[in-house]
Amino acid sequence: MKEHEFYVGMEGREVFWNIPLPAFEILLFALTAVAMAIFGYGVYRRWQMWKAMGKPEMRLDNMGERVKAVILEGLLQVKTWRDLYPGIMHGLIFFGFFVLIFGAAFDAGQHHVTEPLFGWTFLKGNFYLGFSFLLDLFGLFVLVGVIMALDRRFVTKPDRLGYKGKMDTTPDDVIVLLLIGAIIVTGFIVEALRIHVTNPPWEYWSFVGWLLAKTFTGVELDTARTLHLASWWVHAILALGFIAYIPYSRLLHMITTPANHFLQSHKPTGYIEPIRDFENAEAFGVGKLEEFTWKQIFDSDACTRCGRCQDGCPAYLTGKPLSPKKLVQDIKTFWLEKAPAAVKAAKAGEVPTEEEGGKALVGEVVDLHELWACTNCMYCMEHCSSSIEHVPKIIDMRRYKVLTEADFAPELQLTCRNMENNSNPWGVGAHLRGDWAKEMGVKTLAEDPNVEYLFYVGCSGSFDDRGKKISVAFAKILQEAGVSFGILGNEEGCCGDSAMRAGNEYLFQALAQANIDTMNGYGVKKIIAICPHGFNAMKKDYPNFGGNYEVYHHTEIIAKLIADGKIKLPEALKGRFVYHDSCFLGRYNKIYDAPRQILKAIRGIEVVEMERTLDKSFCCGAGGARMWMEEDIGDRINNTRTKQAMDVKADTIAVGCPFCLTMMADGIKDNQMTESMQTWDLAELVVKAMGKEEIKPPVDTCAV
Amino acid sequence: MRESPRLCDAQEKEVLTVNIIACVKQVPDTEAQIKVKADGSGIEEGQIKWVMNPYDEYGVEEALKLKEKNGGEVTVVSVGPARAMETIRTALAMGADKGVHICDPVFDGADAFVVANALAAVIKTLPHDIILCGQRAIDDDAGQVGSMLAEALGLPQLTLVTKLEYTGSTVKVIRPIEGAQLSVETVLPCVVTAQKGLNEPRYASLPGIMKAKKKPVDVKDAAALGIATDAKAKVAKTIPPPARPPGKIICGDEPAQKAAELGRLLREEAKAI
Repeated sequence: MKEHEFYVGMEGREVFWNIPLPAFEILLFALTAVAMAIFGYGVYRRWQMWKAMGKPEMRLDNMGERVKAVILEGLLQVKTWRDLYPGIMHGLIFFGFFVLIFGAAFDAGQHHVTEPLFGWTFLKGNFYLGFSFLLDLFGLFVLVGVIMALDRRFVTKPDRLGYKGKMDTTPDDVIVLLLIGAIIVTGFIVEALRIHVTNPPWEYWSFVGWLLAKTFTGVELDTARTLHLASWWVHAILALGFIAYIPYSRLLHMITTPANHFLQSHKPTGYIEPIRDFENAEAFGVGKLEEFTWKQIFDSDACTRCGRCQDGCPAYLTGKPLSPKKLVQDIKTFWLEKAPAAVKAAKAGEVPTEEEGGKALVGEVVDLHELWACTNCMYCMEHCSSSIEHVPKIIDMRRYKVLTEADFAPELQLTCRNMENNSNPWGVGAHLRGDWAKEMGVKTLAEDPNVEYLFYVGCSGSFDDRGKKISVAFAKILQEAGVSFGILGNEEGCCGDSAMRAGNEYLFQALAQANIDTMNGYGVKKIIAICPHGFNAMKKDYPNFGGNYEVYHHTEIIAKLIADGKIKLPEALKGRFVYHDSCFLGRYNKIYDAPRQILKAIRGIEVVEMERTLDKSFCCGAGGARMWMEEDIGDRINNTRTKQAMDVKADTIAVGCPFCLTMMADGIKDNQMTESMQTWDLAELVVKAMGKEEIKPPVDTCAV
Repeated sequence: MRESPRLCDAQEKEVLTVNIIACVKQVPDTEAQIKVKADGSGIEEGQIKWVMNPYDEYGVEEALKLKEKNGGEVTVVSVGPARAMETIRTALAMGADKGVHICDPVFDGADAFVVANALAAVIKTLPHDIILCGQRAIDDDAGQVGSMLAEALGLPQLTLVTKLEYTGSTVKVIRPIEGAQLSVETVLPCVVTAQKGLNEPRYASLPGIMKAKKKPVDVKDAAALGIATDAKAKVAKTIPPPARPPGKIICGDEPAQKAAELGRLLREEAKAI
């Protein structure tokens, strides 16, 4: 074999330097074919498993958006960057490997395609030098990434890589990291030995190999050639092994995760597909694995166990058994157990038979305490870097418990009965709904339907003593600003959000339909809600049943009225305020600014943020029908949230949701902070700042 | 209790399955706003949300439990206007097998005696081991139908029951009495009236609600029963309770002063002390 002659303009290298051709090339091709076959078989088998179970579901609309998601969330890793350290860690490995694969492709492309066919070599000159530098740099990135990952697995051990303090590291996790590390290290060794032997003057561009070559100083050239050949083969076999290993390991996420980004829902955040046929179904919701859609099952195969979901799950962080990660992983394990039989049955053209004594999905695979601990806060879905949709699965399983089995918490049964009989969760007489407005001069649509906005008050604003004060405050603001509005009074009904999120879709649809019929009857176009739950339901779920409205939350309206100068806030308030983001405003509807603009407009106050804020806000504990349920495992979520406000020394928690208000008020009481802390809805604060708060004259005996 | 000869006879032949009758009444929801008609002849029914009498719900639930444990059939029987069918369907949705709706305008002003006789006329035609009623209905609070029904059928009655055990040939129940519990046992068939605490009525499942729509309900009028429909008692007039006077909050800084004011008001205004 001839050695290179080195002079300027000859920068480059022989692609298969030191590799006896063509015998080894054939061997390499053969091994590549084997690796690809193993890879192909694995993916094929998995494909069959994905197909074998679950109901059909179409996820091929909005193609442009889907491709965009793959580019942004797959290629550019947008969701993983949101957590800095793990984002960098994954980015180093991902982008490093990405560049290295291009490197290998360039090598192979020149050697097998452009040179033999067209006599064109491009790995030379300045391009080669830049190429060498980049490859070494990104190879180094991968190594750093692997070391960071090993550090997380074995040294820092963040809680999210486990469950309740116990790491869930599997041998596969370690094998994958070591395999990646070994591919890079052997790659550098191969390069270093080549540089040691050929010693071209420009190879300091391959800076890692060049530095490593220095350690081989003194090694006989023949020995170095032998070592090079050996390590070249080790490198090649590891790289091919990596390819073959992909479908049998966590590396599969290289396929499933981008696929899941592609397949993600394009419905509004938190949208829940309604049950569309009650009359002809035998069972409702999901009680068996195969009652999920294939996509819901596929989700579990896209899970990388990164634990981002668990990091902010209010149920998990207050000691409940629920972890979104564990839930998804448990579904995956169950699917892996059941899928092979389903594949076999599908091949034989049979319906898979129910195995006797098999585990139940709801109750065994997913414990009922897990199922009912979810507050639907949407943290898991917002932060999942694989676009997994946890909450709809939970609601589907709740539907099974509530609708099919009617087996659920007694207190929630009572709530449902109350909604059925009096159209509110408390069961207060429905005829009292409009009473709060009686002395305010607020007209109902029955009295005057020619108004711009319907103020949908909701159950809290109508029946809860604390909630009624929000209604009064907001109505006062609208009146002061001269906004044209009316209420439905006793014709209003419960929005049904709690029923729907409890899994009682039947009740939800009845409640929603009643409201829609009333609203459509009055030709309602624009709605303002003071409760984010009704706001969200009317905005996203009511259109399914013929209710199409422009829906606003009162903080949006108030912020606009302030910005437009329609209301003035001359009074200064005092204190250190913190705003607690309601999940159904924030993560569900991306309303983060309006509430903060309102606080900013109030004179005299200091505004701080809690550590968990905006899209990482911590739920108050009342969403997902948890408002109506006992919370008897672990710490109370509302108390934990209140403590987070105490941590930043806030004396006032401002909220934009009556459920949050109840929860924060209880949290303040339970933390024995009533002397020094308060919680108010933003509407109430605005009324104070407007100087419009009624001050009752002190009297000795005051009639109520 | 004293063992009657009938009790011994009954113990010999074991009943495997059990035929249960649950009597239900449709009443206004407890939270409903009750408005008395201007002429005092009754209440305005327009805006009222109608529900199953809660005590009857305990009866239905106990009937379903007995059926689930022992096998058998649960028949719901109700006397009431057309709307009472909803309440029968509610019981069917919970799991009862079939219903009988005694529906006739002549029962509109019916008293407990007429209702009990109507129920008895239907129940006589059905196989019955245990007949469950609510201890009273929350609308008129009369609490008579269960006992009258037992009399009309000539059956033993166990009233205000909070625990029920079916042995196959007898029924053993617990009935709370002042500061103690009474354990009573009787032979079948018998009438049992349910008290709060007997059970927690189930929430109907959706398949149950759907199936209930197709379950058989036999509608009978007074002629079909062949009974006298003349009420022994008639409602002379319905009068709303007097409006509650507004409450008072005693304001002030000194607790002692406030206590003195409270005492004065209780003595002079409320005349409570």
